[in-house]
Amino acid sequence: MAGALTLATALLATACSGTGGGGESSQADANTITFMTKLFGTAPNPQGELHQAIEKFLGKKIQVTWVPNADYQEKVNVTLASANIPDVMVVNPKSPAFGKAAAAGAFWDLTDKIKKYPNLVGDEQVLLNSSINGKIYGPYRTRPLLRSAVMIRADWLKKVGLEAPKTTDDLYKIAEAFTKKDPDGNGKDDTYGLIIPKWPGVEFAASNPFNVIDVWFGAPNNWGERDGKLVPEFDTPEFFEANRFTKKMIDEGLVNPDWNTLDTAKWNDPFVQNKGGIIIDVDVRTTQLLDLLKEQDPQTYGDKVLTVGNLSRPDGKKFSLPFSGYNDILAVSKQRVKTEAQLDELLKTLDKLASKEGQVLLSNGIEGRNFKVENGEAVLINQEDPKVKQLQDDVDKAFIQLGTQASTGTTGIAYPRVPPEAPYRKDLAERKERVAEDLKTAVFDPSLPVVPPTLVAKGATLNPIVTDARIKYLAGQLTEEQLKAEIKRWYDSGGTQIAQEINDLVSKLGQ
Amino acid sequence: MATDLAPPPVKAAKVAGHKPDRARTLWRYRWLYLLLIPGLAYFFVFKYVPMRGLQIAFQDFVPFLGYNGSEWVGFKHFVDLFTGPDFNRLMYNTLYLAFLNVIFVFPAPIIVALMLNELRINILKRSVQSLIYIPHFLSWTIVASLTYILFSVDYGVLAGWVHEFLGGQKIDYVAQPDWFRPIIILQTLWKTTGWTTIIYLAALAGVNAELYEAARMDGAGRWRQLWHVTLPAIRPTIVVMAILMSGNLLDMSFEQIWLMTNNLNRGTADVFDTFVYYVGINQGAFSYATAVGLFKGVVGVLLIFGSNWLAKRLGQRGLF
Repeated sequence: MAGALTLATALLATACSGTGGGGESSQADANTITFMTKLFGTAPNPQGELHQAIEKFLGKKIQVTWVPNADYQEKVNVTLASANIPDVMVVNPKSPAFGKAAAAGAFWDLTDKIKKYPNLVGDEQVLLNSSINGKIYGPYRTRPLLRSAVMIRADWLKKVGLEAPKTTDDLYKIAEAFTKKDPDGNGKDDTYGLIIPKWPGVEFAASNPFNVIDVWFGAPNNWGERDGKLVPEFDTPEFFEANRFTKKMIDEGLVNPDWNTLDTAKWNDPFVQNKGGIIIDVDVRTTQLLDLLKEQDPQTYGDKVLTVGNLSRPDGKKFSLPFSGYNDILAVSKQRVKTEAQLDELLKTLDKLASKEGQVLLSNGIEGRNFKVENGEAVLINQEDPKVKQLQDDVDKAFIQLGTQASTGTTGIAYPRVPPEAPYRKDLAERKERVAEDLKTAVFDPSLPVVPPTLVAKGATLNPIVTDARIKYLAGQLTEEQLKAEIKRWYDSGGTQIAQEINDLVSKLGQ
Repeated sequence: MATDLAPPPVKAAKVAGHKPDRARTLWRYRWLYLLLIPGLAYFFVFKYVPMRGLQIAFQDFVPFLGYNGSEWVGFKHFVDLFTGPDFNRLMYNTLYLAFLNVIFVFPAPIIVALMLNELRINILKRSVQSLIYIPHFLSWTIVASLTYILFSVDYGVLAGWVHEFLGGQKIDYVAQPDWFRPIIILQTLWKTTGWTTIIYLAALAGVNAELYEAARMDGAGRWRQLWHVTLPAIRPTIVVMAILMSGNLLDMSFEQIWLMTNNLNRGTADVFDTFVYYVGINQGAFSYATAVGLFKGVVGVLLIFGSNWLAKRLGQRGLF
C-alpha cells in the first residue's frame, strides 16, 4: 500500500499536466536554457564565477538542476514523469524509462539533424552505439573506448618474485602468491589476491570484473556472433571456462571473502590497507590508488601500483574488453523547445558549448584564473585562493558533467591536465600505449545500438536471473548444471524473444 | 429585520428539547472541529488525492502522455503479475517474513513489558526501558551498517567470535540466503521491541492495584496474578495492536530489506515492497509497479477487516 501510494504521489504531483499545455516553466524565459546533469560535490552557485563566465560565453542564461550522481537514475525517472523536463537532460539512452518517453515523443529525434553541428557529431560508430535502434536522441558524452585494466601492488609483486602478468594463468599465480606468501611481510596469513566488490545493479554485462574475465577467455562482450547468430555472453563454452577460472580463485581463498558484500565505494580500501593486491577495473582507478597511497607514504607510493592491460587466456590468444565509448547523451526535450527553429537555436548553443573554447571552460576553467597553459597542458594556479579553489571545484565536480567532449578522467579537446608528480605522469604515458595495444584485440558489442522491446517490458524480471545465478555459481550455491538450468529459464521466460529481436534489429541496422 | 428573524430558531431549538441540533453542536464545538481540519486536510491531500494516481495500474502509463493520453489496458498488469514468474516467490517471501513477524516480533514487547512490570527496583526498570528503546531512533541505514560491521565474513567482530567458539567453516551471514530471515527478524526485534514495549507498559500502569491485592488475598502467586489479572487487563491493547499489525503484514520494512539484499540472497529477500521500488523507480515500469502496490494494498485492507471481524467474534471490542 505504502509503496503504491508513494509512487502514485510522486507521479501525481508531477504528471497532472503531462499532456502539454501546462508545460511552460515559470522561472525560465526563451533566453534561458535549462539543464539537468550529474553532480559529484556541492552544487555550484549560479552567481559563481564559472557559471557567469559560461553564460557570458554562450550569450544565454543557463539554469542547471544538479543531481548527486548516486541518485541520478532515480531522479531521471521521476523527472521523466513530470511536467518539468529540462530543455537538455543528461540521460542514459538505454534506460527503459527514457526509451518509453522518447517513443512517446517527449524528446527530439536528432537522427537527421545532428550532422549539421560539427562539434556534436563525434564518432559515427559511437553515435550509433548511443542510439535507440538507430534513432539518435542527442549528442553523446565521450568516454574512452578502452578502459579495462588490472592494477597490482607492485611492491608485493617484487616481494614474491613474480613478473607482471601477461596471461590469466600468470594472474592466478600472482593471486596465489599474494595469498600464501605473506607479501606484506607482517608474518601473518592475512592477505589475499584479487579484490572483488558487490556489484550494484542487475544488468548482466556490467563491465564488472566477472565480465572482464569472461571476455579474456573469449566469451562475447555482452552479445556476440556464434554460427552466424548473435548469442548472449553466457551462452558460450568460453563463458563457462572463464567462470570455472574465477570460481577456482574464489574457492581457494584467493579473493576477498566478503566479495558479495564489499561496497564498491570501499573497493580501494583493501588495496591500500595491505589486505588485497589485485583490482580488475577501469584504468583511471590507478590515479585514485596513487592518491590514497601517497597520503600514507609520500616517498614510496610511486613504486606500489603496477597497471597492466587486458590479459590473454592460457592458450595465448588475447581478447580485450572495450566500453561503449560514451557515457549518457544530452537529450533535448520537446516540452519548451517546441519548433524546429527553437531546436536549431538550442543545438547551435550546444555546439558552441562543445567547441574547443566551450570545452576548455567546462573542463579546465578560466584561463589565467585557475589554470595556465604550458606545453599544451593545463597547469593549476592560484589554488590557495579560496575563490579560485571554489572555481576549481565547480569545474571538477560539476560543470565538467555538462560537456560532451569531456568526462571525468579524460579531457577530450580541452587541455589535458597532468599532475606534476612523476608516478602520475608515468601512468598517463603508459595508459596511452596500453590502450592503443589493447584496442587491437578489442571485442566489440554489436548489440549496443539496439534496445529490444521485450527487454524493456520484461527486463525487471529477466535481468536478475542469470546475473544472480552466476554469482550463486561462483559462491558454490549452484552447480554448473543448475547454472545452465537458470540460463534455460532466462530463455524460456522471454530470453528467446530478446535474442530474436536483437538479431533482427542488428541486421536491420546493418542494411 | 435581522433582529426579528434571529430569535425563532433558538426558540425552536428549545422547543425541540433534547433532539440534537447538528448546526448547534457544530457551533458549540467549533474550536474542536477547527482543530480537526489540519488532520483531515493531511489525510485528504496526502492519502486520498494521490489515490487518483492508482488509475495508472489499469493503463500503459507513459508520463509524457499523462493520465488522459495513456492507453487503458484493463487488468493486463494484474494478469502479468499473477501469471508472471515473480509472483509466487514474492508472495512466499512476503508471507514467510510476515509469519515470522507474528511469531517472534509481535509477542516480544508483551513479554518484555511483563518482565519489566515485575521489576520492583524503579531505577533499574527505568534505565532498562530507556536503553532498549534507543534503537528505535536509529535509521535502518545505521542498523544495516552495524549488521555488516558485526557479521561481515572478513572483519565482522561477532562473526569472528562465533567462528572461534564453534570452529568449522566461516559463514558469510550477510550473504547467505539461509541467514537472511533470521538477520531481518533479529534486526527488527532489536530496533522495535523497546519502543512498542512503552505502549504495553502504559496499559500495565493502568491496571487497578486493588485487583492484585484481592488476588493475593485469595492466595494467588505471581504467576496466577499474571494470568488472571495482568493479561486480561492488557488484552484490549494486545487486540488493537494485533489488528493494526495485520493491516501491515505485507508492508515489510522496505529500507531494511533493500539494504540487506545482495545477489546471493535476492531470491529470499525480494518482497512486494522492494519489487515495487525496483520495477517502478529503477526500471521505470510505473504501471506494473502500481498494480503490484495496489494488489498489496487491497490485501492489507482485507486483512484489517478480517482480523477486526475475528476479534469481534471472539468477544473483543475490535478497532471499529
